[in-house]
Amino acid sequence: MLTIENLQVSVEGKPILKGLSLTVEAGRVHAIMGPNGSGKSTLAHVLAGREGYEVTGGNVRFGDEDLLALEPEERAHAGLFLAMQYPVEIPGVANMYFLRQAINAICKARGQDEIPAAEFMRKVREQARLLGIGEELLKRDLNAGFSGGEKKRNEILQMALLEPRLCILDETDSGLDIDALRTVADGVNRLRSPERAFLVITHYQRLLDYIVPDVVHIMADGRIQRTGGPELARELEERGYEGLLGTKLAA
Amino acid sequence: MLAVKRTRRLDPDPAFTAAFRELAPRLPGSANEPLARIREEGFARFLALGIPTQRDEAWKFTNVARIANRPMRPATATELPLDRVLPYLLGGPRARRLVFVDGRLQPQWSHTGGLPQGVIVESLARAAETRPLALAEALGELDDGRSFTALNTAFADGGAWIELPAGLALEAPLQLLFVTTGGEVPVMSHPRCVLRLGDGASLTLLETHVGLGEGAALTNAVLQLALRPGARLEHDRIQLPAAQGSLLAKIDGSLGAGARYRQTTVLLGGALVRNEHELRIDGPGVDCLLSGVAVPGTGEQSDIVVRIHHRAGGSHSDQYFKHVVEDRGHAAFAGKIVVHPGAQKTNAYQKNDNLLLSDDGEVDTKPELEIYADDVKCSHGATCGELDAGALFYLRSRGIARQAARAILVHAFAAEVIGRLADPTARALAETRLVARLGGGLDGALVETVLGEAA
Amino acid sequence: MATAFDTVKDYTEAEYKYGFVTPVEEDRFPPGLNEEVVRRLSAKKEEPAWLTEWRLAALRRFLSMEVPDWQKVRFAPIDFQAISYYAAPRQKERPKSLDEIDPEIRRTYDKLGIPIREQEILAGVAVDYVFDSVSVATTFKRKLEQLGVIFCSMSEAVREHPELVRKYLGSVVPPGDNFFAALNSAVFSDGSFVYVPKGVRCPMELSTYFRINAAGTGQFERTLIIADEGSYVSYLEGCTAPMRDENQLHAAVVELVALDDAEIKYSTVQNWYPGDKEGRGGIYNFVTKRGACRGKRSKISWTQVETGSAITWKYPSCILQGDDSVGEFYSVAVTNHRQQADTGTKMIHIGKRTRSRIVSKGISAGRSDNTYRGLVRILKSAEGARNHTQCDSMLIGDRCGAHTVPYIEVQNKTARCEHEATTSKISEDQLFYCRQRGISEEDAVALIVNGFCREVMNELPMEFAVEARKLLGISLEGSVG
Repeated sequence: MLTIENLQVSVEGKPILKGLSLTVEAGRVHAIMGPNGSGKSTLAHVLAGREGYEVTGGNVRFGDEDLLALEPEERAHAGLFLAMQYPVEIPGVANMYFLRQAINAICKARGQDEIPAAEFMRKVREQARLLGIGEELLKRDLNAGFSGGEKKRNEILQMALLEPRLCILDETDSGLDIDALRTVADGVNRLRSPERAFLVITHYQRLLDYIVPDVVHIMADGRIQRTGGPELARELEERGYEGLLGTKLAA
Repeated sequence: MLAVKRTRRLDPDPAFTAAFRELAPRLPGSANEPLARIREEGFARFLALGIPTQRDEAWKFTNVARIANRPMRPATATELPLDRVLPYLLGGPRARRLVFVDGRLQPQWSHTGGLPQGVIVESLARAAETRPLALAEALGELDDGRSFTALNTAFADGGAWIELPAGLALEAPLQLLFVTTGGEVPVMSHPRCVLRLGDGASLTLLETHVGLGEGAALTNAVLQLALRPGARLEHDRIQLPAAQGSLLAKIDGSLGAGARYRQTTVLLGGALVRNEHELRIDGPGVDCLLSGVAVPGTGEQSDIVVRIHHRAGGSHSDQYFKHVVEDRGHAAFAGKIVVHPGAQKTNAYQKNDNLLLSDDGEVDTKPELEIYADDVKCSHGATCGELDAGALFYLRSRGIARQAARAILVHAFAAEVIGRLADPTARALAETRLVARLGGGLDGALVETVLGEAA
Repeated sequence: MATAFDTVKDYTEAEYKYGFVTPVEEDRFPPGLNEEVVRRLSAKKEEPAWLTEWRLAALRRFLSMEVPDWQKVRFAPIDFQAISYYAAPRQKERPKSLDEIDPEIRRTYDKLGIPIREQEILAGVAVDYVFDSVSVATTFKRKLEQLGVIFCSMSEAVREHPELVRKYLGSVVPPGDNFFAALNSAVFSDGSFVYVPKGVRCPMELSTYFRINAAGTGQFERTLIIADEGSYVSYLEGCTAPMRDENQLHAAVVELVALDDAEIKYSTVQNWYPGDKEGRGGIYNFVTKRGACRGKRSKISWTQVETGSAITWKYPSCILQGDDSVGEFYSVAVTNHRQQADTGTKMIHIGKRTRSRIVSKGISAGRSDNTYRGLVRILKSAEGARNHTQCDSMLIGDRCGAHTVPYIEVQNKTARCEHEATTSKISEDQLFYCRQRGISEEDAVALIVNGFCREVMNELPMEFAVEARKLLGISLEGSVG
């Protein structure tokens, strides 16, 4: 579904990703772990099309499309979703209203009819209930004044409603207490399906106790350094990045 | 048609011309041709600009003609005993200072000895002898379209030339004390100061204006500041004009990259006191903080004007001014932040809070923004109201008399600014005067506590 | 990769869609302004002698006044002698029924998306159509008459209700109030008149649709709304003009009077032609709008969405005279390209416990300048007065300007005033977030701007709000590239 070949990315002239290759297949959950500064979040942002990153080499294919040639919204239309580490606040725009705009935009881009209001409401409420998101939160301004946990749950709500093919979770566990972590992880697990792939970016192994990955990659210095099964995450937990990769890479 | 425009300015009283003709030969540097010419030009500009009326937007809230457009004389030499001046000598034993009475340097109270190599602290009169060309240039280069600046250029008598070389940090504070005595006829003085800090130089400046006479007096002061990159200036201003004394003080300054300018002004008294600031931020990393508090009562007006020009991005400015208006007092604030094109990443704030304590007082405020860059953080706020009834009741319910409760709350409001004065002796003077001003309601213990903190 | 704000391209996509000209036969005066012109105008309208004199007095005041220069807008001097002060679609007499309206004018309103007949039937909004300063149709008249509500053109009001007109005309905005008000008082051609009698809650929105059509003219309409004791009325005003290279002057006066317990809600969606992207052409919109809360507990609420005009100079104000009266001002002003807007409000607190609220949202894009200018004055008599002002600016691109010039003048200690202002931009984070969710950049800008303006948009009547939302999006199209 997603094929990254020798991806090289710089920020303000400084190389961050230095030839990263990765293949993600439908139905699989890939975890990417790495120390701070290893380039994890850069990878997430580049895949979603954020500006300010210069791709200096390599290519990325998403299905049969050249992902890097697409605008951010076109990537969303193609089924890529990024659950952000710091969801943005937009004052004056109600959460529910924003969701409707996003869903309609995606339906339109895919040549589908807009989803009828009643059905939209039913779907939102159903997903919101599963994620423990109250009616009040749906009416409030998008992410404005939301707690860390509320923001992350709201990201998963959007993910559930936009029905993407590839879900990228950027440090979704950061700033969550154990209950919120469980709710978020349950939300993600409900969305696992043979057609859908996940790229779960995290610093800690903790999240992976709840979202059990099929494949674990250890990233450092802008490259995938090791790849293995879930046991790799546990090994990392025991030995740390330094123990696993050698001190020089643990920035 | 012309009539409307004309009312924005008045022709100056003919006494100004007479005074200028008479005084010009005796002013500092009169023998020096360039300086004398600059003064002539200044006076011509003053006549052309005239005295602004309230139809002039910059003077909308203030009728300056009533105190400035009348026959005035320079004060005659007055002998003051030391004990009258002593309370105003600030900065502790190590401080250097220049003391002026009615525009004349008082060498017996001044002390500038033992300054490090390269530091210049001299009176304007002395500067007119040692560096006439530089002085003429400095006086001439400030043309801000303001009539009182032009008037000051023409008449500049007292004042000082201060220069710190690059990298020098002067530990001891430097005080400029201006005493006005007033007389039978209204008197005027025109202090002009030039202050230049070299790259990374640092100074604490205590500027004190004190009125000691009964008669009417106008002090028309101009201070030209230039802070080179990385220079730091702590500027404490205490203004205590007499009841019939007025003060027009203009500060014009430019701040280089990474400079830090911190100014706190405390004003108590005076018929009309207008503090004007025009500051230009010319590089990134500048930190400019202006604070002030004034407590105008009957027959008193405090007028604060601030214009901060962010001409370069990446700098920070903050204006924080408070007024407490009692009886028939009048407070005005006109603050303006201008973010010039390209001055991205500017952070600029402006706040004006007012306590209006009487039915006869007036508060006018105009916090203004003019912004030509999009990636900036600018905000301003202004409030006006009386003392919080809940707080007042709370204090009284704890047994504090109404007057005292009121004084405590007003004190708390003003003290926030006083606390920003850099020099402890300046803080103590401001505190004592504020407590005296607020009346018997404040008990000695409170004053002690406060003074204890200040010292 | 370039950042979203590297280039703020001038838009070419967004055309002013109301810029057509209607070919109608018109009756017009040659250009020029003098007593003779005013007399002819007054005679043409068969006005009583007192009104002719009133106009002439205003003209004399006007001729002695100067164009104000305190506002932050720049424009070339206006030649007031080059303007024709009367232009009207030629029709034998005012149509008796809607069917008699000139088909060309009907088509104009159809094109503008407000077909005269449908509007009446579907929307249930009573509309007065003003075409080049002359009222061409008023709908729903009969229904309103049954309630005693008078809603007609100003010319008709002068004929049919002279006592009301004489009593209130110029009572809020005196003829010599300011330069443009004096001009309007001398040459106003028509406008709307509303009187809501005691205790009547006007059951439908009353609306005037203003259209400038003819070249070389100005529009000088005059609106007067009187809400008698305990009454309520909501009034909407919309405006468009053809695209022309010349600048056209619109100098209107609106006067509102609210007596005891009355409430007037006045909403404007102003979309006069703003000129092209180089700043050629467009309407000079110099308007004096003022409401007097004369009665106790009366309320006047101004809501405006200003997207058009080359220059906007407009300060809808409230004189809060009656005790416990309330004034509100909700404003969105969008400027793009070379537009200049200097707009805001005045709240004059005279009565006890009077309250005012100001919410202003300014959005600047392109090379435009957008200024909020406001005055809150609390007089000595205004015991317990309250004001809260919120004034936010948003800049899109780095070649525009956003300015805030508030004046607060307080003379009563029991009054409480608060003023807050912020400046912000659309952050790249916000744009990216929206786009990541599949929303296009242009839609994201519209979404964020609408969110920024929500407090004001919420004040608009439903049918207007939808229009205004779209308009915001269109006005800013292409401003982010």
